[in-house]
Amino acid sequence: MKLELQHGSRTRLLAFIVLGLMAIFVVRLFYLQIIKHDEYVAMAMEEQVKRLTIPAKRGMIYAMDGATPAKLVMNTTVYTLFVDPQVIKEKDRANVLKTIRRIAGGNVQPSIEELISRTDTRYQILATKLTRTQAELIKKETLTGVGFQEVSQRYYPEGGLAAQTLGFVNAEGHGQYGIEGKLDDRLTGKDGLLQSVTDVSNVPLTIGRNNVNQPAQDGENIVLSIDKNIQSYAEKALADGLQRTKAEKGSVIIMDPQTGKIMAMANQPTYNPAEFNKVQDGAAFNNGTVSTPYEAGSVIKTLTVATGIDKGVITPDSTYVNTDTITVGGKTIKNATKGQTGTITMQRALNYSLNTGMVTIAQRLGDGKNINVQARGTMYSYFHDKFGLGRQTGVELAYESEGNVVLPNDASGAEVRYSNMSFGQGMDVTMVQVSAAFCSIINGGTYYQPTVINGVMDGTDFKEKQSVVAQSGVISQATSDKVRSMVHTARSTFYAGSDKKGFEVGGKTGTSQTIVNGDYSDDQTIGTYLGYGGDDAPRYVIMVQVSGKNMNLEGGKHAMPIFTDISNWMLDYLKLQPKG
Amino acid sequence: MRQSLKKAAEQVGRSTGQAVTIVRRHAPDYQIALYMGLLMLMGLIVMYAIGPQRANFLNNIEGTDFYTTNYFFIKQTASLLLAMAAFAFMATIPYRLIMKYAGKVLLLAFVACGLLVILGNILNIDQLTLCTKGACRWFIIPGGLGTIQPAEFLKFGVLVFVAGFLGIRSQQGLINDINRTLFPVGIIAVLSMFFVIIMQKDMGTGIALVSILVAMLIAANIKWRILGLVFAGLLAAGVLLIVVAPHRIDRVATFLNGDNTSVDDASGYHISHSKIAIGTGGLAGVGIGNSIQASGYLPESINDSVFAIMGETFGFLGLTGVIAVFTALLLRLLKVTDHLNDMRMKLLAAGVFGWLASHVILNIAAMIGIFPLTGITLPLLSFGGTSMIFIAAALGMAFQMSRYTAFGSKLRGNENEDSSSRRGVGRTRYASRRRPS
Repeated sequence: MKLELQHGSRTRLLAFIVLGLMAIFVVRLFYLQIIKHDEYVAMAMEEQVKRLTIPAKRGMIYAMDGATPAKLVMNTTVYTLFVDPQVIKEKDRANVLKTIRRIAGGNVQPSIEELISRTDTRYQILATKLTRTQAELIKKETLTGVGFQEVSQRYYPEGGLAAQTLGFVNAEGHGQYGIEGKLDDRLTGKDGLLQSVTDVSNVPLTIGRNNVNQPAQDGENIVLSIDKNIQSYAEKALADGLQRTKAEKGSVIIMDPQTGKIMAMANQPTYNPAEFNKVQDGAAFNNGTVSTPYEAGSVIKTLTVATGIDKGVITPDSTYVNTDTITVGGKTIKNATKGQTGTITMQRALNYSLNTGMVTIAQRLGDGKNINVQARGTMYSYFHDKFGLGRQTGVELAYESEGNVVLPNDASGAEVRYSNMSFGQGMDVTMVQVSAAFCSIINGGTYYQPTVINGVMDGTDFKEKQSVVAQSGVISQATSDKVRSMVHTARSTFYAGSDKKGFEVGGKTGTSQTIVNGDYSDDQTIGTYLGYGGDDAPRYVIMVQVSGKNMNLEGGKHAMPIFTDISNWMLDYLKLQPKG
Repeated sequence: MRQSLKKAAEQVGRSTGQAVTIVRRHAPDYQIALYMGLLMLMGLIVMYAIGPQRANFLNNIEGTDFYTTNYFFIKQTASLLLAMAAFAFMATIPYRLIMKYAGKVLLLAFVACGLLVILGNILNIDQLTLCTKGACRWFIIPGGLGTIQPAEFLKFGVLVFVAGFLGIRSQQGLINDINRTLFPVGIIAVLSMFFVIIMQKDMGTGIALVSILVAMLIAANIKWRILGLVFAGLLAAGVLLIVVAPHRIDRVATFLNGDNTSVDDASGYHISHSKIAIGTGGLAGVGIGNSIQASGYLPESINDSVFAIMGETFGFLGLTGVIAVFTALLLRLLKVTDHLNDMRMKLLAAGVFGWLASHVILNIAAMIGIFPLTGITLPLLSFGGTSMIFIAAALGMAFQMSRYTAFGSKLRGNENEDSSSRRGVGRTRYASRRRPS
């Protein structure tokens, strides 16, 4: 642009001032728009972009009700009532509290008079877990300074049923114990995100480049293999049994030997998951069937017999000479039941739960006289590798214990330990390990992965999960038939009269010593009963365990009646047809 | 004092007939119209782009649906047409006629300002005046036709009257006479400041008025020594005005505190958000209709802050373009000023320059955070009729003045070289351009 301004003229001076200022403006704009651009974009984003988390619904948990799933854990919305003490006038306080007390009643926190007068704060919770009706009644009173917060909470239509299997959800929304703890991620789902550029009054705009609309992925609805009727009966039978025997603790596990699905897991002491925060002793959260390894005792003899038959070193009719004692590695092992001396069959040894018979089998797995390395190796490969003792089964529950089976070449794994192991002492196993192993030796030799999950609910569709064969042919079909028959005989020798006629029910007792102050004690024993029932095939396996501090609890006397109670009920419930 | 004013008024209206050189009317500087049109067009595009958002925002906060989608676009178009009419009118009517009525125009402007004080500040008639926080700046035109800001009219009045007055004093050789020249101007200035800054609490318009006056004083070739005294007086008055008004201290404090001011302070919020809007624009801007600051974050997004919104929308390139057009227009006005021989015309053009320059510089400087906010519009771009019509009217006068520029040898009034023959009419500038220098 040619201006032809006169040299030295005042207009020329003004032109320079204008050009100078405009140059400063452009430099400043360059600084703001190019150099500091990212910084300002960040500042703008911080102000303009609002994020809203869309909470994912936690998956519900179903149990089976016969063949159809039924809700066991649901979600419900409860309301937390809070006040802003700075907003409520002093003269209105009494009226506010009166109204809250009248409607919220038992949900009111202690000493709300003090809370409402804490004017140094702006948020005080006066009542929790209000129902929608209560909240709406209070809202109708239009009290100023009173607000509500929605809180999603677990709701248990069946009360404390299967409490240890379920676990609970803590105040932070995290699953604890049981399936809630183990499958927390699947149940939680994924929160959605609504991120939008909004105008100054928070109305989302369509022009943003950073808008995100990610819907929430609700948690999976999980269907347990637990049958709520069986569970309910098992809990009742266990509670009744404990009351009869005065035992303190007890656990029952019921499995389907044809699928590995767990139909019930009952534990005492127990609790109500809805009121988990009122539990004094955390032991109630513990699922004894998966989390408490113990020396299961003589019920293991069924596995020893199965090993012996499968390896061909004994048959049910094989004999040995019983003197009620047997010496292994310089240690004398005695029978608990005395008097069955002489040449007796293995069946008889099982019937009377003779330790000498089991040690004999262990010896025969070796050179016949010693439980040598070969014998120990064989026992280990059966007990640990095939039957899964001392290994996590992978059942979908939190805090599953591994247990412990000492290796055959371990310094402490010598003859004495393996002789003890043959009758169920000297190794720590969980009930779910033993039940799953027992299932495999009576069902023809298929080890099913024990599971508490039957499938998922997709909307209203039940998608059943296939049972998983973890190992097939752990023992031969022939072995399995023989073992099953022996276990049946072992039960019917003494308790034939207890069972319903026309069904095949078998079982084995176990009374295990516990280690008290580092030594086996006869004064504190755990009673266990492990058995099965069915028609032409085994339909259920029940393992019962009762214990108590300084109590002598026996498999036959204390655990067995609980088994019988449940077993007879199961035959009815499963509508099995009696033979003949 | 009254006498001297009266005398001055008489003299302004009188044709001097003593022009040193007679320059015949020739073709105007069309670039003035071109740049004005460009800026108006840009303003219209911005109204089209962010008007709907602004309408939506205002409807939301006022809880009405008064503002239709194109409310601002339509109103701006209407203002634009009126402004162009004002431009055409002022470009056409002979400037001597303007000079003749200059005294009456100024008187009318003062009367309007006085009426505003009576109706607004004293009688508090809400139906006719628009007041905020005790500052009454607008008349309400009955029938929902909008508002009128008499301060704009006052600028116009001061411009034409003082240009005429100083022009005559200059031709009389009395330009440096304090009693006969500067004293009357000082009275006009003080009276204007009383209305604009004290009563209407409008520092921006006050500075614009001072700028118009100062631009004319500079162009009138008043001795630098006297100008120095004027500047010193203005500085003292400025400091005094800032110190006596708490909201001005706040604004200055806000400005001095930079970005660290809390958002609670309205002007701090305003400045920080205009900077965010500008900074977000980056090199090329977010594009038309994508402004987010316009959705309510930035105050006055279509009025005083339109520069910031344009920064967000069109980026560094867009704003540099806007600045370039304004610069070109201002330089064009200076060129006209420089090449006018008649002192009254020269001062008129200088005053128009002062008017436009003060608005542009104050507005942009505030938006980019290098000068405190004064609440002043960006001429031709901001939404608002009064401001646009009067600035267009002023430019119209400058446009008319550009018909009387003289170039080359006759600049210094060399009567021997008569280049104002009819043949040269309208071609002088172009001819001079082609001539090898």
